[in-house]
Amino acid sequence: MSNKQITPVKLVLLGEAAVGKSSLVLRFVSNDFQENKEPTIGAAFLTQRCIIGDKTIKFEIWDTAGQERFASLAPMYYRNAQAALVVYDITKPASFIKARHWIKELHEQASKDIIIALVGNKLDVVEEDESNRKVAYEEGETLANEEGLIFLETSAKTSFNVKEVFMNIGQKIPNPENVTASGEQGRNDARVDLNVNNDSVENNGCNC
Amino acid sequence: MSFFNTIRERASSLSIFDKANVPKKPSKDELFREEFKLPDDETIIDETAAEMLVVSKEDSNQNNASNNFSSNENQLSNHSNFVFSGKLYLTKHYIVFRDSFDRKSCVIVLNLSTVKKVERIPSRAYVFALSIVTNCDIKLLIQFIGIRSRSEEFSYKLKTCLRDNVSNTKKIDPFLESLYSEFIVKKNEPGADKSAIHSPDGGLGQLFKYPGDPKKLRDKSKLRLWYDYFRRYGRNLSIARQKMFYKLLRVGLPNRLRGEIWELTSGAMYLRYQNLGIYEKLLKDNEGTSSIAIDEIEKDLNRSLPEYSAYQSEEGIGRLRRVLTAYSWKNPDVGYCQAMNIVAAALLIFQTEEQAFWTLSVLIEKFVPGYYSKTMYGTLLDQKVFESLVEKTMPILWTHITKYDIQLSVVSLPWFLSLFLNSMPLVFAFRIIDVFFLHGPKALFQVALAILRINGEELLEIDDDGTFISVLKDYFSQLDDSAHPNSKDPKFRQLTKFQELLIVAFKEFSNITDEMINQERNKHKPSILQNIETFIKRSQLRNLPRTPNLSKEHISNIYDRFYNCIQSHKASLGVGSSSMEFKTYQQFMNGFCDWALPEEEYDSHPEDFLHRLFRNWDKDSKGVLSLTDVVVGLDKLVNKNLMESISYFFEIYDYNNKGEVDREGILQISEGLLYITKPLQDGKVFDFLTKKSIENYIADKIVEKQNETNDEVILLPSEVNIDQEIFQREQGERYLSAASDFIQRAFEYAQPAEVPELIEIDDKKDLEKIKANAALDPNHPLTLNLATFRMVILADESYELLFSETLSSSIHLDRSTNISDKGGILRDMFDGLLADGRRVANQVRRRMDSSATSSSNNHDSSSIKSKPGNASLIEEEDEDDFGADATSNDYGDLLENAEIQALGDVPVSNNVKKDDRENELKVLHGEMTEIEKGLQNQSISKDKNLIEFEN
Repeated sequence: MSNKQITPVKLVLLGEAAVGKSSLVLRFVSNDFQENKEPTIGAAFLTQRCIIGDKTIKFEIWDTAGQERFASLAPMYYRNAQAALVVYDITKPASFIKARHWIKELHEQASKDIIIALVGNKLDVVEEDESNRKVAYEEGETLANEEGLIFLETSAKTSFNVKEVFMNIGQKIPNPENVTASGEQGRNDARVDLNVNNDSVENNGCNC
Repeated sequence: MSFFNTIRERASSLSIFDKANVPKKPSKDELFREEFKLPDDETIIDETAAEMLVVSKEDSNQNNASNNFSSNENQLSNHSNFVFSGKLYLTKHYIVFRDSFDRKSCVIVLNLSTVKKVERIPSRAYVFALSIVTNCDIKLLIQFIGIRSRSEEFSYKLKTCLRDNVSNTKKIDPFLESLYSEFIVKKNEPGADKSAIHSPDGGLGQLFKYPGDPKKLRDKSKLRLWYDYFRRYGRNLSIARQKMFYKLLRVGLPNRLRGEIWELTSGAMYLRYQNLGIYEKLLKDNEGTSSIAIDEIEKDLNRSLPEYSAYQSEEGIGRLRRVLTAYSWKNPDVGYCQAMNIVAAALLIFQTEEQAFWTLSVLIEKFVPGYYSKTMYGTLLDQKVFESLVEKTMPILWTHITKYDIQLSVVSLPWFLSLFLNSMPLVFAFRIIDVFFLHGPKALFQVALAILRINGEELLEIDDDGTFISVLKDYFSQLDDSAHPNSKDPKFRQLTKFQELLIVAFKEFSNITDEMINQERNKHKPSILQNIETFIKRSQLRNLPRTPNLSKEHISNIYDRFYNCIQSHKASLGVGSSSMEFKTYQQFMNGFCDWALPEEEYDSHPEDFLHRLFRNWDKDSKGVLSLTDVVVGLDKLVNKNLMESISYFFEIYDYNNKGEVDREGILQISEGLLYITKPLQDGKVFDFLTKKSIENYIADKIVEKQNETNDEVILLPSEVNIDQEIFQREQGERYLSAASDFIQRAFEYAQPAEVPELIEIDDKKDLEKIKANAALDPNHPLTLNLATFRMVILADESYELLFSETLSSSIHLDRSTNISDKGGILRDMFDGLLADGRRVANQVRRRMDSSATSSSNNHDSSSIKSKPGNASLIEEEDEDDFGADATSNDYGDLLENAEIQALGDVPVSNNVKKDDRENELKVLHGEMTEIEKGLQNQSISKDKNLIEFEN
């Protein structure tokens, strides 16, 4: 561990069931992909460290359950989140509608300065056969522009654009010295110790 | 959008629950069923105090004690078994005994079908005793305590129940064949023909091996102990639970028996026995049907305990699919919730499909109600309960958790929702479930608290959710390790972390009782439900289409009333729905609209205004309205844009968007106009015109008084005596004449239709009459198009105003649900008139001005003051409220003649019933022919004027 400051960033993933939220996280954290992932009950938690410019960011990722009825639990998870990935499936128009919903929900209920990335996943399916595309790139882009969001189309399967999503978010995260007083620094120091025991959960930094 | 509809559906069913659940005390029967896990239709038929002795076949052989039970008490002390005093209950299908000592020293739940023989034991005169022999050859010796006649009565009722139950006894043998407990006892009977006894079907573990190492689990010796127990105390539907039962259960169930004991302790066995074949039937009846739940299940089948080999096979996946699907049909309110797949997958390792199905049912409906519901309120609630128990039992840890803002429920939610199955290694989770089915949900709380207690010190070092989770993750992965690896005492060293967990859970937290949990649940329930409601409302309102004529508050009120109506309507049926049928719609509209009558006064007709409005709003012709339909519909109805509002009204009658209505349509439109102006006809509310004339009247009075006193200061009186009836009558007449004019003009300007249509008329007399009238002559069909309709509406001041103002203001969207008071509108109106004295004062001023000009007085010096204080001073202001005044008055003049004629013989009544109104209309139709000619001349000039309005 260097004495470099680590900025923890709480990030939450929201979106309809089976759009690939957990797969995006798995790709980002473990550079892996599984066809049959166990469904997320409540939420899963993973961390990943990234070096972006002169910052080291530790993403604390809350991967939420996508099934509709879990929606009422969501406020529990996006509470205090600094960033959010709102994910939809570009082959499923309904998931795009739900993405709109989540964006509104976040704007109304989450932290004011939350950084949101809109992510259209499963690009690989569309690349296989363009007729699978049901949500146009422009639709996503327009929504993102209207709402001031980061926008990318990704494929967790091929890993296309996955890191970029997190990179873009990381770049938008303000530097810790601008944000916090000494209290936060103290927490970061404590964090370093704990992270030693915790390496099983994390990789030693991603290749961002 | 379906998302929000369904989520709302959940909430409505939930609110029913909420209302019904103003913590009502459970009834005696409910408590009884809960204690013994009996099906819902078992009620206590009789109960008595009694003493119980359980004697097995071996005991009888050894001691021959049974017959002497009551006569020679000395024999009892020789007996190895205890006599328990307690309570004996009789229900339709069960005999239940429970000791009074600690309620678990001797508990017997005996299905009547298992009773082989009941005998009265000869005894001393005052003692009454029965001997019941069960199919396991267990003899229950029961000595009744109490008056003999009561005991006789009990035994008589028992006899009756047994007799009624005879038909069920046929089911018992095949049922018992499905149970492993029967199998091992039979198989090990001396001299049993082993080839004739077949092992019953079991769970997937039979085919794919049970998780864990059977040697390490000491499965065989456990099984042996259970075998002994079954022979000694009976089994399955006739088991007597004694201390040993709980001990055996706590050391972990042998795999082969686990499914059956789960089924027994959860009460699922009783349900399965009662509902044999239902599982297969559910699947068969719904074969090939699709549902959202099924899609969701399908997504998760490959994701349920995927490491266990059975769930990598078609067999395992197939069983899981069938159980989850059948449950989604059994309980569509729950359908399918993620985590159910994991629980069902675990059950199926030990149970057959049918066993798992019923166990899943009692689990979801009785053990953790609301956990898997569509709002998951039970899950949220128990997390809150858990947090408050942590606060109570581990205050230091709780302070730490809150200090560092660690979201405890985020950590613990999956424990509860998936019964620890996805948190700790399966073998340990199964053992928690062993206890859970026996002791109920408190076991989950006890284990969860123990986990925090054991890891407390380490957790106190942690300041973020992530590390919090990973500490516990590590702990779960080490459950098999020694809890005290460094202890010198080898026994202590042997103790695993899991054993330690159970000890802490059930010893240290034995003070966590069901009552405590229920108390906490009741405490937090309202706020949890409120949060869910708020969340759902927010989501749903956000997703409504744009409605420019409705404010946020309006939409919120519509939402509240919409679901309020549906709920009160359906609550009795116990169904939560997110759509509105006509009957509910009528009730809903009554809450907002002056003209929508309450149910008891409303004379429903499929072609009346309300029905047509309903159909107009029902865009998909589903026969029901969604919230969106209602919001969009109301938005159009309150539109104050004159032209749009008129067009919309026409659209309601223009069935097929042809842009025209026929003769029948014209008549119905006129009915509709009469309907929505009914409160105005009856003088229940005043329109702008009437208000204005009241103002004028008041102003006149004031001016009159002013002239008398010659005072410089004009005072607005706080009270004016107005003869209300005069204005009511005037207004009523005005609206009736508007209606008659409408019909007259509509037929006058209607175009002849191109395709003649035949109208069937039965009554010849009517036919004659109608034939005399060109407009009504069925041989000359007519159509009225939108432009003409507009023209006709605009020809009448009251109707023009109706569409620009009156209709909109007759719909009170600012009424929230809890204010249903509709009385006193008129009173309010008068009060309002005086309170807002500005307009009256304006009138006064105008009068003063005009008199001033004639008498050359300096009006500027006269100031006007209002007495009540809230009436404001007159400002220099035009009466812009009524810009259309002059023009429409012109029409009024033009039409005066016709009006008078049309009104001629029409009776003016304030309380026109529908029939009367129809008659009235008929009279009007008759009149029309005569009027028509006289009207013709005027209409030419009128026509020219009217056309200008048509853009």
